Order: sequence, then structure tokens, then C-alpha cells
Amino acid sequence: MSYLSHREMLGGLESVRVVLPGDEVMSYNPDSSGGSIFLGPGLRWEDGMVRAAKAGLLKKTSRHLYFVDTHQKRYIPQRREYVIGIVTKKKGDIYKIDIGGSEQATISFLSFENASKKTRRDLALGDLIYGQLIVANKHMEPEMVCIDAYDRAMGMGVLPAGGVMFNVSLQVAREIINPDCPFLLTLSKKVKYTVVVGMNGRVWVKAAHQNSMVALMNCILMLEYMTPDEANEKALKLLEALM
Amino acid sequence: MRGLNVALASVNGPGDVKVSNRLYNRSHLEVCYSPSTGHSMIRERALESVIMRTVEQAILVHLHPRTAINITIQEMQSDGLALSASVNAACMALLDAGIQMKTTFAAVTCCITPSGTVIIDPTEAEIQESVAEATFVFESSGEASVLTAHQDGRLSYEDFKKCLHHCQVASKDVFAFYRRMTEKKYQNEIES
Repeated sequence: MSYLSHREMLGGLESVRVVLPGDEVMSYNPDSSGGSIFLGPGLRWEDGMVRAAKAGLLKKTSRHLYFVDTHQKRYIPQRREYVIGIVTKKKGDIYKIDIGGSEQATISFLSFENASKKTRRDLALGDLIYGQLIVANKHMEPEMVCIDAYDRAMGMGVLPAGGVMFNVSLQVAREIINPDCPFLLTLSKKVKYTVVVGMNGRVWVKAAHQNSMVALMNCILMLEYMTPDEANEKALKLLEALM
Repeated sequence: MRGLNVALASVNGPGDVKVSNRLYNRSHLEVCYSPSTGHSMIRERALESVIMRTVEQAILVHLHPRTAINITIQEMQSDGLALSASVNAACMALLDAGIQMKTTFAAVTCCITPSGTVIIDPTEAEIQESVAEATFVFESSGEASVLTAHQDGRLSYEDFKKCLHHCQVASKDVFAFYRRMTEKKYQNEIES
């Protein structure tokens, strides 16, 4: 099976410079210049000028997509992102899920594989759900589902018991699921484990023994303070000490 | 931190908000200022109000309706520059939290002595002996327009303009500091 690497798909991601809110990135007039540009998170276009709205690293892809990469912990729900949520309430046919944003997300009991009005999937309070946000904007409360457009689970649904979930900063979550980052693969050479990463900064890990799970959790938490290269060595040392 | 003036600021948000404070089209901002000694009284409420009105002009509140953004400031040490240290700490906390803003902002305090000299970042002793004290908060664009102006004492129009000009020049240092700190934070990623 051939696939484009992450970098090729994005068309060559490059870091431009560090920007602060209010910094002018470029002036853009839709009437004049040739091609169109795409503005991602952290940028806004006002009065013909593109300005940064967040402090971070301005990045661009070769397909003229610009965005600001920020280090932050607070999750702001975004459509089509995969998140891990905790069931907090049951209101009739709807469950309320805490996804770490300002509002709780809702999920209908029919949004699971093979669910119908007769065969319900009952969720207990405190269950962990891995799903996709289908509605997420500033005007409405977020909605989640655990099936794709063809009614298949595709890995989503209730997470099995026996794992451990912890919070990381959003950029760490994005980093470990990046195909170009071999961190999770390096860990797998020492310990066999299952991991689910939510874009809301929640990571769920399950391994055979409790001490392996705690060790893996600490290895991933190392990425908050170190680059993946530095963390690689320390993580391997930690896991070897475990054996 | 400004010499002996230290303020600690933290930002929480955009998060959940009480129904009574919920606004349909924007975020609810709350500033909580705690003095280093004693209980919070009217002086702290006044500072909170000045800081809130400054911060409101910078944050893009319409991006997060029905949420609350809480800014908590703890005064650790004060030597006359409590307001400007707190405002600058609040700006850095907002940058760190990743809350979307129109601009960054920087506060500078100055005082005018009886002989007419303008002192930037005076100590508490210098403020006591001065005729008037002024704090200006500027935004980061080229012309550095004023977001907030706060004065104590008698200032003639000429003196006011002098203070404003000196503070405007001094604010460039604060903005340069913000940029240096942000570059330091992301330096690992710039290299890769």
C-alpha cells in the first residue's frame, strides 16, 4: 500500500518565524494578486492585512496554508477532530461528554456501530469514549459521534477498562501522532501497549502491567519539557530500568 | 518583574461560566487581583477595573461566546509599580494561554518630580516625592496607541504630553522583552 508521507501531503511544512498577536504577516487583497491563500488557526484577516492573533511559530505549507503553531493546554473544540471524552450525564437519549472544552459535548445513543432503537449501547458514567466531533463552532454546543459516514466504528467507541488516561498539552498530542515522529514506535520496542490519543490533549494507554502503564505515561509526559530526541534516550533508559 | 516589583499572573479559559454571567455573543472577562499583604479592598477593586478595561480591548472576546476567561493576579512584591507590573504579567499570561488577541499590550509608569523631570519606572519613594504619577498602556502596533491612561496628581497638558512620549519610548523595551521570551520558548522548534 503506498501513501504520501505526512510532509508530502501537507506539501512541505516550513517554520517562518515567531509571531506575537498583532504582528503583520502579509497584506492580502482578494481583488489584486494571483493565487488565493489559506489561513489556519491563529491568523485573522482584517482591512486587507493578515495579522497573527496568537503568540507562536508561524508556519506555512507549499500550498499557501498559513497558521500559527501555539503551545497551549486549553482545548477549543474543532470539527472533525478525534477526541477522548468522559461520560458525565445521561439525559434521555443523549449522553453528556466532557471533552475538556468550555462546554460539554453531546452524543446520541444511536451514534455507535450497530446501534438501533432496539439494541442500545448503554454507557456508564465515567466511561471513556473515543469519537469524532461533527459539530463544533462557537455558536453551538459540540456534538460527537463514534461512527463514520458509512456507519462503521473505525476504532471509535468506548475504551476498554484497565487503561490509564492522562492529560498532556495539545502540541504534545499533535506531536506523538505525527507520522514523522518515531517516539511511540521507539517505546514499543521495549513494551507492548495500546495507545489512543485525543486531539483534546488526552492520552489513554493500556499495557499488560500497571507499572508499564505508569512508565509509559511518564515517558509521554517527558515530551512536555524536552524535544523528542532528548526524550527518546531518557524514555529508553526509564523503560529498561523497568525490565 | 520590574526590579523590586513582582506580580504573578495566571489565565484560565475560555472555560465554563455561571448562567448569570453568560453572554450570548462574547466571553465574560474576570480579573482577580490579590495584594501581597492584607485583604482585598477598594484599591484592589479599582486596579481590577483598570486591568479589565485594558485587557478587554486586546482579547478577541467575540470568538468565544458563552464562556469566561479568568485572569488572576497575585502581587508578590510592590515598590510603586504594582499596576504596570500586573498589566504586563497579565499580557504574558494571556500569550502563554494561547488566547486569541488583537494585539499585545505593555504598561509603563512614570512620575514627574517638582522640578519637572520625568522618571520612568520610579520607586515608591520617588512616587511619594513626585507631583504626579501616570501609567500608560500601549498596544504593539507601529504608532503605539494608548489603550489605557491612569493618572494621580496634577499634570499640566505639557507635562502629560512629555510623560506620554517618554512612556511610549520605554514601552518598546517591554514589547522587545515579550518577543525575546516567546522566541526562547519556541527555539527548539525553529531549529528543527
